[in-house]
Amino acid sequence: MSQRTLPRLLQSPAVLLLLVWMLVPLGMTLYFSFIRYVLNSLRRPEWTSPSLSNWRGLGNYEFVLNSKDFWFAVQNSIFIVCSILFATVILGILIAVLINKTFPGQGIVRVLLISPFFVMPAVNAVLWINMILDPVLGLNGLAVGGINSLVEGLRDAPLVGWFFSMWPEFEPISFRATQTSAYAVIMMVTWQWTPFAVLIFMTSLQSEDQQQKEAAILDGASTWSQFRFLTLPHLGRPIAIVVMIQAIFHLSLYAEIEIVSRGNGNKNLPYLIGEFANNNIGAASATGIFAVILANIVAIFLLRMIGKTLME
Amino acid sequence: MAIVAPPSRFSKYGRPVLAWAVGLLFFFPIFWMILTSFKSDADAVKPEYLFVFQPTLENYLNMTENYDYWRFAKNSVITAVSATIFTLFVGIPCAYAMAFNPSKATKDVLMWMLSTKMLPAAAVLYPMTFLTKSLGLFDTHFLVIMVLSLINLPIVVWMLFTYFKEIPKDIIEAGQMDGVNTWGEFKEILVPLAWGGIVSTALLCFIFCWNEAYWTVRLTTTEAATLSKLIEGNRAPEGLFFGRLSAVSAAAVGPIVVLGWFCQKQLVQGLTFGAVK
Amino acid sequence: MGRIVLDKVSKKFGDVEVIPPLDLTIEDGEFAVFVGPSGCGKSTLLRMIAGLEDLTSGDIEIDGENVTQVPPSKRGLAMVFQSYALYPHMSVRKNIAFPLRMEGMPQAEIDKKVEAAAESLNLNDYLERKPAALSGGQRQRVAIGRAIVRNPSGFLFDEPLSNLDAALRVGMRLEISEMHERMQTTMIYVTHDQVEAMTMADKIVVLRAGVIEQVGSPLDLYRAPRNKFVAGFIGSPKMNFIEGEEAAKHGAHTIGVRPEHIEVSASSGAWKGVVSVSEHLGSDSFFHVHDTGLAETITVRAGGEVGFRHGDTIHLTPRDDVIHKFDSSGLRFE
Repeated sequence: MSQRTLPRLLQSPAVLLLLVWMLVPLGMTLYFSFIRYVLNSLRRPEWTSPSLSNWRGLGNYEFVLNSKDFWFAVQNSIFIVCSILFATVILGILIAVLINKTFPGQGIVRVLLISPFFVMPAVNAVLWINMILDPVLGLNGLAVGGINSLVEGLRDAPLVGWFFSMWPEFEPISFRATQTSAYAVIMMVTWQWTPFAVLIFMTSLQSEDQQQKEAAILDGASTWSQFRFLTLPHLGRPIAIVVMIQAIFHLSLYAEIEIVSRGNGNKNLPYLIGEFANNNIGAASATGIFAVILANIVAIFLLRMIGKTLME
Repeated sequence: MAIVAPPSRFSKYGRPVLAWAVGLLFFFPIFWMILTSFKSDADAVKPEYLFVFQPTLENYLNMTENYDYWRFAKNSVITAVSATIFTLFVGIPCAYAMAFNPSKATKDVLMWMLSTKMLPAAAVLYPMTFLTKSLGLFDTHFLVIMVLSLINLPIVVWMLFTYFKEIPKDIIEAGQMDGVNTWGEFKEILVPLAWGGIVSTALLCFIFCWNEAYWTVRLTTTEAATLSKLIEGNRAPEGLFFGRLSAVSAAAVGPIVVLGWFCQKQLVQGLTFGAVK
Repeated sequence: MGRIVLDKVSKKFGDVEVIPPLDLTIEDGEFAVFVGPSGCGKSTLLRMIAGLEDLTSGDIEIDGENVTQVPPSKRGLAMVFQSYALYPHMSVRKNIAFPLRMEGMPQAEIDKKVEAAAESLNLNDYLERKPAALSGGQRQRVAIGRAIVRNPSGFLFDEPLSNLDAALRVGMRLEISEMHERMQTTMIYVTHDQVEAMTMADKIVVLRAGVIEQVGSPLDLYRAPRNKFVAGFIGSPKMNFIEGEEAAKHGAHTIGVRPEHIEVSASSGAWKGVVSVSEHLGSDSFFHVHDTGLAETITVRAGGEVGFRHGDTIHLTPRDDVIHKFDSSGLRFE
């Protein structure tokens, strides 16, 4: 009977599209990662087009593993991702607990809080690195300049003047250097993704068992112990999910790095791949395979967790 | 029955004040961008005009000649709308079949779909560039639409699946007893019942398409370039054009942020694949 | 019209056989109740008759016609679901009209039929409301209305009263019984509540683990249960089972005595025990008696005026003519 065919027919476009989308480019990446393939080579023109005769085995992987850039990018990727995760989870829990109880204007505060999440990443980066963090013209520069001129003015003041004359002139931090631009990226992504964490934790807090809380109050539990022994364990699962979903998103962070760090040496894996892809496709592909492996480590845990709730 | 505890001083005054402070702090960068967009480029970098200044609309009025804004905006609308429609067109039948005629493989197929979403895009950067260039698709609307559709298809199928699954099986069976055929079941029962879910899925898909900033930046140059590409291309104005850059940025994100307010709830479900309820 | 015959019908879910091959005939106009503990396969059986569940083997005939491969809506049966399964996005009127609209009936005729059904079910005032705005009992009526308008040759009820509160349940029970008296249409009713089974059925089908334990009229089942399972399932409070010496006196492995067939006395009787819990309902009193040396608890039903309390010593005498005797395999014998 058609009872099995129709469902299959309905699913097949989506499945086939995704299958092609996944297999073809990934297969090509895998293939390119095993051959010598560079876009510009005057010396060896045969390397400029993909061919099996340029087989290099694990050579590209060796090249990538021996490159300083790769290890820097891996390290930096992990540093950026972990910092963002740490900041968003802590901030997310604090803010979610703060605004979960009703207070005047709760709805508006929610709307204000969630807004950063919908800002497109390119705008986020341009906004932060220029209007806010620029050391001269951004708020960063203006604020430091303001403090300096205030201190300057107070130096001639009677009585306290001697005190302020001992103060140094403050230097605004520039967020365009290699390392500081990573901080800038962490800041802007944290700003964008904390709302996501808040939203998820709030959703989860609302499903917390109120009777359990009331029982705890009757048992004489303090606010802190209620949080520590009831709320925090209840949030365990959402925390894990926030961490894993963000890890997957942020491992492929691109627009922010591209806008903030272009040319200053700061890079993460996707950015490094982009750099390699300007010429050395073999290396770009090998790096890509490493990125896939890294993402899969997280994805396996996440998928397992999702799978458990799926068919309930 | 709720236990009425005497309200502490914190919950009466501290909580609202702190909560509002946090809310305003998070909104501040957006507020700042909007504020700056009403300053002239020269005023925007002067400390004396931080909050008090002569507001001007020139940045918005000149968006076309400064940035060719509308061309990019048009591309964003075309690609995001088409991609959303196409994704729903492919995703709804798929989710429908999975929710109401699940087989043993359904769960695995769903998980596999999600796993495609988790592949880092950068890993296939060169093959995509290579393929699209050799097929003559580079920098075309068609390509952007297809790519946006494919990266959002797993989330769309997933969200629709969870909405469809919430429809009680009894109602579908009642329909079968009452003599509906497959199309009737779809039209008379399923779509009306899941309408809210379908709309919010579409909204969310549209938002994701609009904000996408990897493929739209890497696979376009001019013809199909979207707002992400426009902003990315004007990344470092060195303080010269803060006013006009703010205006074009605000114009690029404003509508989406407002749309986002309407689907906060669905966002949680969409982004956590139903794992947090 | 509506004679339903199940011929060696069986059902497997994967490797698990939930219903071994089974034969059953439900006569035209009969009110049949499938009863059994949860998980006994009664709902599955009903859904197989409805066509919502495929058969693993066997055939179903309705009025002599094999309908095994016929889709649900073409079998001429209407079903009332436990959850009522009303279409939440449609008004009551549209809900009731839906099956007729699917048949392609002209609108005027639909309106007439819907009005008539609403009239008979007291739903006239609610026709334009959505199901969410109705009480549980009203939703139940709408579900029945949606079944009635199709003028089916048989009604299927899947635990229709289990979502209602106790008072409404009694009322709806009467309404459904009245409906059956009036329409004389075949009805199959699934429940786990033996009271519903006893009060409504012409024919009770007792199921356990997919196997029919006994088929018969309510009083047949009460008076002559085929085995210990049926004996324990039909009747409330449950029959007392006594093994050992006392049973051997009657030449049986186990004897069963219904609580209402035991006489109580403060002074003398065949058995003796201590009241552990006494429940006074006004019309009746139930005593749960311990320390009889026969079984852990013997339950006794006496008149409302009998006033033993916790801790009282009490004497019990079973009525000899209604003692049920079971052999070691649990089958009843005379």
